[in-house]
Amino acid sequence: MTQDALGHLERHVMEVLWAHGESNVHDVVRRLGRPLAYTTVMTTLDRLFKKSLLVRRKWERAFLYAPRWTRREWERKRAGDFVAGFLASPQASGDQLISSLVDAVGQYDTALLDELERKIRSKRRELRGGGNG
Amino acid sequence: MPFLVRFLFVSLATYTLVHLALGMIVSLIARPAVHMGERIRPHLAARGLLALRLLPAVGAALSVAVVGVPSYLSNEPEAPTERVGYGCMIVALLGLGMWAVSIARGLRAAASFRSFSQHCGQAGRLAHLPGAPAPSYIVDSTAPLLALAGIVRPRLAISRGVLRVLTAEELAAALRHERAHRSAHDNLKRLCILSMPGILPLAAGTRTLERGWRKFAEWAADDRAVAGSERRSCALAAALVRVARIAADSPRFSLASSLLGDTDQLEARVDRLLRAAPPGPRIAGRSTLALGAALLMSGSLVVAILQPAALYSVHQVLERLEHFVE
Repeated sequence: MTQDALGHLERHVMEVLWAHGESNVHDVVRRLGRPLAYTTVMTTLDRLFKKSLLVRRKWERAFLYAPRWTRREWERKRAGDFVAGFLASPQASGDQLISSLVDAVGQYDTALLDELERKIRSKRRELRGGGNG
Repeated sequence: MPFLVRFLFVSLATYTLVHLALGMIVSLIARPAVHMGERIRPHLAARGLLALRLLPAVGAALSVAVVGVPSYLSNEPEAPTERVGYGCMIVALLGLGMWAVSIARGLRAAASFRSFSQHCGQAGRLAHLPGAPAPSYIVDSTAPLLALAGIVRPRLAISRGVLRVLTAEELAAALRHERAHRSAHDNLKRLCILSMPGILPLAAGTRTLERGWRKFAEWAADDRAVAGSERRSCALAAALVRVARIAADSPRFSLASSLLGDTDQLEARVDRLLRAAPPGPRIAGRSTLALGAALLMSGSLVVAILQPAALYSVHQVLERLEHFVE
């Protein structure tokens, strides 16, 4: 899931890929600027790929990795995930300084929503019939 | 023990005891008060419940400031050999603890609001929606987000998901609802509620009043938004259901919650809006008169209490408290 927080090395690897674009494992190891085992970086790239943060393609006998989103797109998405998660947090309802139109924390029953929609449709028909504005 | 230290302990202990006494009374009447609120106009019910919620803290502070402090200062000798009893110290520290818990709750809400605003700024773009009560962040998300956030410079946060599902008429009704929250200063009231000590931290009476206040504040905002128009009433009801539908369709936004009353609340609000368009709140005329009368009565009471004989009697009680479990 993209909303997962990134570890220190993952973030560093992402920085390298955002700065240099598509790279293979060797390129990333070289650009990280610190002694890290090839397999450590390969595992990290694979993990980022599984988190859907990277795309990859095979070139000769190695994978080339590239960021799925630009840094700005990713930060936007992360912030969007935070905002959505904020609404679903148990604290959101009472202990917040926000006035929400509808409490997102509730477990809304679809049957109830269908019933309410039916009532609204019926009221709308009634209003159209009576011409009330 | 120095006079100032004794004075602080006695004042805090007095505050705590008056707070607890008022809190007990408020706790007992919390549930009936919420029921009674359903029979009067929602904005009046919200005001009444807010006053009850704040009464223990404000009433205790006023009692100490108006009665306790003058009585102690005018009758207590500056004897440095006098000590404060352990009982008095414990009660005073309990009062401090209650305030610490509440201030922490208020600060936590302020910090999470700050974080929410920053993320809204990153996730969306600031725009001016026609009819919105404040500059609006349009957030790139499918979340059921339509909320007024903040106190001094509130911002409206709305997701593209909500913008997509609402018709123009429904969106206008929803924005009027948020504007009503802004003009009622509901977020400031939320901050007051969060920062004021409850009857006791986590006491049921406090939670009942807070839930009741939130319900009537929503109803009052609904009333103000529809202002007696059946058409607007219907549009707001539809907006509520459409936004709730986003929450229902995505398990991520409808996490299991301890707030079991929520679906009842949604149903009650929609039914209320459809039954008959609720009229907007009337401009208060008699309330100025009532406020004047209350101020006059309180003033007379304060003058009566500040008589030397009355202050002396209060001091006798404070002396007992000061030497409680010495």
